Amino acid sequence: MSEHEELEASVAAWVLGAVDTDEAELMRVHIDACAICREAAVRLRRAAGALPLAADDVAPPARLRERVLTAAAASRGSLATSAPRRNEPRRPVRMTPRATTRARLPIYAAAAAILLALVVGAVAGDLIGRDSVRPPTSTVARFAVVGNQELAGARATVIDLKSDGVVLVDFNGLPALRSGKVYEVWLITSDGRADPAAVFVPDSNGSKVVLVNRSLEGYSLMAVTREAGPAGSDAPTEQPQMSGTIT
Amino acid sequence: MEGLADPDLAAALVAGSQDALAELYDRYAPLAYGVALRVLGDPARAEDAVQEAFLKIWNGASSFDARRGSLRTWLLTAVRNRSIDYLRGRAAHERQEQELVPELVEAGARSDPWRQVSLSLERTAVREALTSIPAEQRQAVELAFFGGYTHREIADMTRVPLSTVKGRMRLALEKLSSYLQGRGLVDV
Repeated sequence: MSEHEELEASVAAWVLGAVDTDEAELMRVHIDACAICREAAVRLRRAAGALPLAADDVAPPARLRERVLTAAAASRGSLATSAPRRNEPRRPVRMTPRATTRARLPIYAAAAAILLALVVGAVAGDLIGRDSVRPPTSTVARFAVVGNQELAGARATVIDLKSDGVVLVDFNGLPALRSGKVYEVWLITSDGRADPAAVFVPDSNGSKVVLVNRSLEGYSLMAVTREAGPAGSDAPTEQPQMSGTIT
Repeated sequence: MEGLADPDLAAALVAGSQDALAELYDRYAPLAYGVALRVLGDPARAEDAVQEAFLKIWNGASSFDARRGSLRTWLLTAVRNRSIDYLRGRAAHERQEQELVPELVEAGARSDPWRQVSLSLERTAVREALTSIPAEQRQAVELAFFGGYTHREIADMTRVPLSTVKGRMRLALEKLSSYLQGRGLVDV
């Protein structure tokens, strides 16, 4: 059997993406040079391109639309969100008593709680959760941020689109805020430094997709507190009401 | 945006129109999610695959060429490929296969209300065509396309020679191609 005959027999498998990596490259080179195989590939591609229509329509979760639009806006750097949000990373704040001179006594407690979470890996046993489902590649990382205390029942899924440099936090079940308050997202390093990442106000259903406009690299924990709006605080003023370990 | 045909929608995407992306999503998200779910069987990962595919279109819209295929085909191919990447545990940049973009276009130039009508016709035709193909040929194609298996893996699984699997794939796609062309559906 000639090389052409051998490779021609694999054209259908090639257009279906069903050949090994090495063979795919051989096929590509051959098809570029062989008019007969190229013509076959064009014809068979058309048929293969129809195969998705064999799948049933399935309505995606309603919030996927917001996720897509938010991530798209972020990836083009033209984000326009409805909630108050910080676009520029602010000065990092170490979670120590010297971090602020304002009246925010609970910062001790906040730092303690967050550091405890880092050390123990969980708050009160089950307050930090992780999705059991994780993609096998490093392109997208997922982890959960779970509420406690007054935010018990609130939950967020963090979707870190590493290849797009976009981090989305999909919040659900958040209680309405008191007037003038916002939720603030914090990224915490292993030595307890808390960097403000985003502020937001959930919709009437207690939901919100929030963009975190920075890499999670170097951070160990994500936490959420309630702060004065619209701009939030430079450092947490209360114990974290939601937290999750960054994976 | 609702009545825009693919080339105009692509131009709006290139211009950075969020409304265009929302329109693309509203048109094809159930189809895209259905494909991802069929491949992955996992809602969370299916969402990720769909999101990545829409981002791929959004960020690559400037390379869209209506002469080579419709936005729908491009999107669904991206969804399928990303889903298979997840299934096989590989990153997108490791993908060596060519994108399954058809060379001819017809549906891409259609606009509402024909879009929905033509989609329904195309879907019916594809399903009829697959039903008309012998079971072992259909199985070979579906294991490859929705299961992400290579032809060697399929040969091992089904305990038939590799050459037989290649032949079944070829016959299946040839018949599907003939069936669809016979109905004037060239870009499906």
